[in-house]
Amino acid sequence: MKLSIEHSTEYRYSERVKHSTQYLRLTPRPSARQRVLSWELDLPEQADEGSDGYNNILHVLTLDKPHQQIALTVRGVVEITDEDGEDSDHRLSPLVFTRPTVLTESNESLDELAHRHDGAGGMQLERLSESILQGMPYTPGITSVASNAREAWKLGKGVCQDHTHVFLACCRALGMPARYVSGYLYSKDSEHVASHAWAEVWQDDSWKTFDITNQTCRPRHHLKLAVGMDYMDACPVRGVRFGGGVESLEAVAQVNRTVSERMQ
Amino acid sequence: MRSLKLPAVSGFDEMIAPGGGVRPHYRSYHDWLLRQDRSLLQRKRKEAELQFHRVGITFNVYGEDSGTERLIPFDTLPRVIPASEWDLLERGTIQRVNALNLFLHDIYHDQNIIRDGRIPAEQIFGNSQYQPCMQDVDLHNQVYSHISGVDLIRDGEGDWYVLEDNLRTPSGVSYMIENRRMMMRLFPELFAEQTVAPVEHYPSLLLETLQQSASYANPTVVLLTPGQFNSAYFEHAFLAQQMGIELVEGADLFVKDGFVYMRTTAGPQRVDVIYRRIDDDFLDPLAFRSDSMLGVPGLLSVYRQGNVVLANAVGTGVGDDKSIYPYVPDMIRFYLDEEPILHNVPTWQCRKPDDLKEVLNQLPKLVVKEVHGAGGYGMLVGPAASQAEIDMFRARLLANPGNYIAQPTLSLSSCPIFVEEGIAPRHIDLRPFVLSGNDTRVVPGGLTRVAMKSGSLVVNSSQGGGTKDTWVLESGEDCPC
Repeated sequence: MKLSIEHSTEYRYSERVKHSTQYLRLTPRPSARQRVLSWELDLPEQADEGSDGYNNILHVLTLDKPHQQIALTVRGVVEITDEDGEDSDHRLSPLVFTRPTVLTESNESLDELAHRHDGAGGMQLERLSESILQGMPYTPGITSVASNAREAWKLGKGVCQDHTHVFLACCRALGMPARYVSGYLYSKDSEHVASHAWAEVWQDDSWKTFDITNQTCRPRHHLKLAVGMDYMDACPVRGVRFGGGVESLEAVAQVNRTVSERMQ
Repeated sequence: MRSLKLPAVSGFDEMIAPGGGVRPHYRSYHDWLLRQDRSLLQRKRKEAELQFHRVGITFNVYGEDSGTERLIPFDTLPRVIPASEWDLLERGTIQRVNALNLFLHDIYHDQNIIRDGRIPAEQIFGNSQYQPCMQDVDLHNQVYSHISGVDLIRDGEGDWYVLEDNLRTPSGVSYMIENRRMMMRLFPELFAEQTVAPVEHYPSLLLETLQQSASYANPTVVLLTPGQFNSAYFEHAFLAQQMGIELVEGADLFVKDGFVYMRTTAGPQRVDVIYRRIDDDFLDPLAFRSDSMLGVPGLLSVYRQGNVVLANAVGTGVGDDKSIYPYVPDMIRFYLDEEPILHNVPTWQCRKPDDLKEVLNQLPKLVVKEVHGAGGYGMLVGPAASQAEIDMFRARLLANPGNYIAQPTLSLSSCPIFVEEGIAPRHIDLRPFVLSGNDTRVVPGGLTRVAMKSGSLVVNSSQGGGTKDTWVLESGEDCPC
């Protein structure tokens, strides 16, 4: 399936920002699962390209002249193949992903949730995924980007980021390597936002997908941008600014099947 | 002062031999001490206190009211180490730091030590101090810990042990230098009588080490401090001034086009080497903790590209973590094919069920430490603890055994100090500072920390410990008379 993506993010500030630096994880790394046919970033200034510790493509954008808005746009076309798992593309040990982070630390009730799905034949991840969505139906506006797994689970409602964090907390509580994935999702209806998050678990020497929000293990409609321990490592934009006052954010992400695909 | 009789202490005293005689390397100092008037020593101590206040050597104590500053007690009696013993310590600490640097390079590259079955993989990768962002990052000279502090103690027999390694941002070296300056000012005649190895060239060796950490000549070096509220701020300012380099805070630096720049009145100036006295977690708010502005946004990306050097490197903490400590002797054998010159203190790893059982059985006799702890916080000293404290630690151990190690309570050697009532023995340790650049060097001496309370084994300055000057005698003879 060929997907075309257009994603614009615009930050506006009530006062002038003196200096800002952003880490952008807005460029997909090509893999067996995703063939990047075209990709471009439209940024206020040239960014420095490199990779981060999880082998994500990272752009560092420094704006050192006073500014009151930052507009970031990415456009591209990517072909997704329906491959099952993904090999480790990187020499980083999957065991790193057994470590809890601030956002994925468990507590008694998350431990209980995890152990409930730890059967004789190993952990029943699909059942766990079901229980999480049942326990916290998709509900925007209740949690924030700063909510951790414990808070979200207690609230009983959340979005893909929260589902993923709760899932990761449970996997890690049982010593199973699991990581956060940030990316785009194609869906026919537009109920869910196109920016998406899901999880991957290291099983049988490859990373297996668990999209809790959509209850699927087949990432046919998923374009991966970045992976990490949690949202903080993988989020598309992470920035620090000096000055600026109050920030407002507008983001629009559109993911469509390309025209030629639809005509087939 | 006509005679000097120390109250009996169990264990090894640095000055007085078991029969009551003075150890040979202390004879010269001891003779001098006997000739001194007690009131003179008291006067000198007062003078030292005044001087230290004037220079501003203070230490912030965490856990008390924020910003509490106080003087670290300074004792005017030197701790003396004979040349032959120093030779052992020098070779032993250099060997250890070399092995630790090889270990850090290995675990951030091919992980041969894990493949070889010497250390379980989960001990490394499950450790919060292992930094994923360092995997396959190549460092100049493969040096990770440019500045290391190795904490040494002696048991009742006088045998040396490594208590812990400090590979993150070890502090205390300013006291090593200031204590020596103070002693030379207070008692110049002592330095005429015998040859004490100098320590005051440490800042120039440190600068050389930092310059050698870059792959090119004449790099611009700065010292990055978390600021004046940090407990070691005095030391940061002191070292920067001694080395003649800029003392900067996070806000003085910025990242642009793949390099780090320092804001100066003459415009941005590129920075090549950062001697950072900030923990990993605070280095870059875009990569680590986002709730702190002590670091430099974007710094990690520049570092990973090799366009700036951080000393020490990111991720050295996995080398000095207490859960990794038990493996250091094996690292020395594995990487250097040598036998360790300095011993480890025998250590129970509570994550192992058998070890845990043994520890719980003899808890009142042991020292229990958190694997990621430092500075004497969060530890149990069994013999000095109340029943309630022991019960509390028993519960903690059972709840989270992997978080603890335990060791026998070593007596620590004692050394005489000057107290109100005269002269009395107190327990001490020693932290020499090892520098790794093109080669590995250690300044003869170090920081001797003193437990100021009689019988106490806690020497940490954060827990009320003091310091004294450390003399390494240059003569090859143990008896310089």
